[in-house]
Amino acid sequence: MEKFLQYRNLSYYYQTKESKIHALDNVNFFVEKKNFASIVGPSGCGKTTMLSLTAGLLEPTSGEILLEGKKIEKNDSRIGYMFQRDHLFEWRSIWQNIILGLELQKKHKDEKALSFADELLKKYDLYNFKNKKPRQLSGGMRQRVALIRTLVLNPSLLLLDEPFSALDFQTRLKVCDDVYEIIKSEEKTALLVTHDISEALSMSDQIIILSSRPATVKKEIKIDFEGSTPLKKREDKNFGKYFESIWRNLS
Amino acid sequence: MKPKMNYSKAHAKYIKKLKKEKIIIKFWQVIVIVGFLGLWQILADTGAIDPFFFSSPSRIFNSIIELGQSGTLFYHIWTSLYETILGFILATIIGVLIAIALWWSERLRKVMEPYLIILNSLPKIALGPMIILWVGSGTKATIVMCVLICIVITIISMLNAFISCDSDKVLLMKSMHANKLQILFKLILPNALPDFVSVLKINVGMSWVGTIMGEYLSSKAGLGYLINYGSQMLQLDIVMASIVILCLLAGGMYGLVVPFEKKCKRN
Ligand SMILES: Nc1ncnc2c1ncn2[C@@H]1O[C@H](COP(=O)(O)OP(=O)(O)O)[C@@H](O)[C@H]1O
Ligand SMILES: [Mg+2]
Repeated sequence: MEKFLQYRNLSYYYQTKESKIHALDNVNFFVEKKNFASIVGPSGCGKTTMLSLTAGLLEPTSGEILLEGKKIEKNDSRIGYMFQRDHLFEWRSIWQNIILGLELQKKHKDEKALSFADELLKKYDLYNFKNKKPRQLSGGMRQRVALIRTLVLNPSLLLLDEPFSALDFQTRLKVCDDVYEIIKSEEKTALLVTHDISEALSMSDQIIILSSRPATVKKEIKIDFEGSTPLKKREDKNFGKYFESIWRNLS
Repeated sequence: MKPKMNYSKAHAKYIKKLKKEKIIIKFWQVIVIVGFLGLWQILADTGAIDPFFFSSPSRIFNSIIELGQSGTLFYHIWTSLYETILGFILATIIGVLIAIALWWSERLRKVMEPYLIILNSLPKIALGPMIILWVGSGTKATIVMCVLICIVITIISMLNAFISCDSDKVLLMKSMHANKLQILFKLILPNALPDFVSVLKINVGMSWVGTIMGEYLSSKAGLGYLINYGSQMLQLDIVMASIVILCLLAGGMYGLVVPFEKKCKRN
């Protein structure tokens, strides 16, 4: 089994004026290449902290995170981060939003990168909106644009921090399917944070359940449902059983 | 999903109603000014109010013509306009640059915070005598006064706009490896554009306050000087004429900012 992304004895403390906040305590687990892993845990337990550490935006207090056997660095280009809200820049067109990352890395004149961006837009039905402004798009489309903005930089690991929680339920199921399809067809490894158990179950190959703060891994579950999309996976006969088991572990 | 739609009947009706409403508003606006001037003129003509103290539209008009013919009017207008526009531009540019510096360095921001608050609440006119001592009287002093009045509010408003930018957006930029300069130019500045337009609008008014105040303090030319001169000579017609011209100039300058605002909104 290849350990694509590995957490080893990861601990993290926030320093504040009043006290030290122990956010993560000795976290250990790994994710295989091209797998979809979800982290669930009570709110405030340290999920976002884990992603920030993984993205290299914070440095571990102790322990380490390895990606393909190498320690994660600050500004690691192997990693793409997708936030809770899409954070599209209203003053930029969809196309300009998508190539933002390329601009920042001075690759916006790179023909290959640009044609890849073009290709992604076409493939995921956004090409006709290329020159539109974000506010002209629906919530689901905006989230797709945000994902493509991340994919354009061709990361091998995608981090998603509750990317659907700002959407209404109907849109959410649809966007879940869309995002899942995109991530699978681009063959990315993904680490999703959510507090929605069904969402985690319908998308993941592996679920990591965290305890309340300081978070440590309480339980790990491998999942293998019938069905090729999250929506179909929700109909698997074992879905309810898994749901209950996770729910019991969370409370 | 997006066929070219012809305006439906209901929509056409709605547009028509909007247009009608607009015409009604314009109509009443004209009525208000004509009514006001007419009443003023009648009261002055019938002797209900003393035109010596209250002037009258016709006397103001004549006064403007007279000043215009002697050539001094344009000289005064030009002086004030020059001071105001220069003060406005200087205050806006320097103010934004200082706000950027304060955004850039959190330490500098914390150091300067109390001083900004004091400067903001200080009535700038109190500095008048010092300004005259330092830069001399006349145009220079007026421009300095103008800049002083506009710059503090520019700094405070723009700094607020800069630091209130969504921290997740900054994090997003960082996660895509943006450096600080890129965060400034690709996120912070464009994000603050609407606030910048508000500052411009405020500064149009403030810069005129600065100019007139500066000219009251010490000057040999300008509309503020003219108002001062008129009141000392008890020539209220000149005072009123200057105020009317001031209204027109300030309104015009404000009008120049409006299309800029519309353009920002559309983007
Ligand atoms: N910048 C910070 N400084 C201090 N404490 C923080 C900071 N960010 C988060 N925390 C604290 O760390 C804990 C975990 O936060 P977070 O990772 O955001 O939780 P989650 O994403 O699971 O809801 C919370 O108790 C939160 O208050
Ligand atoms: Mg969170």
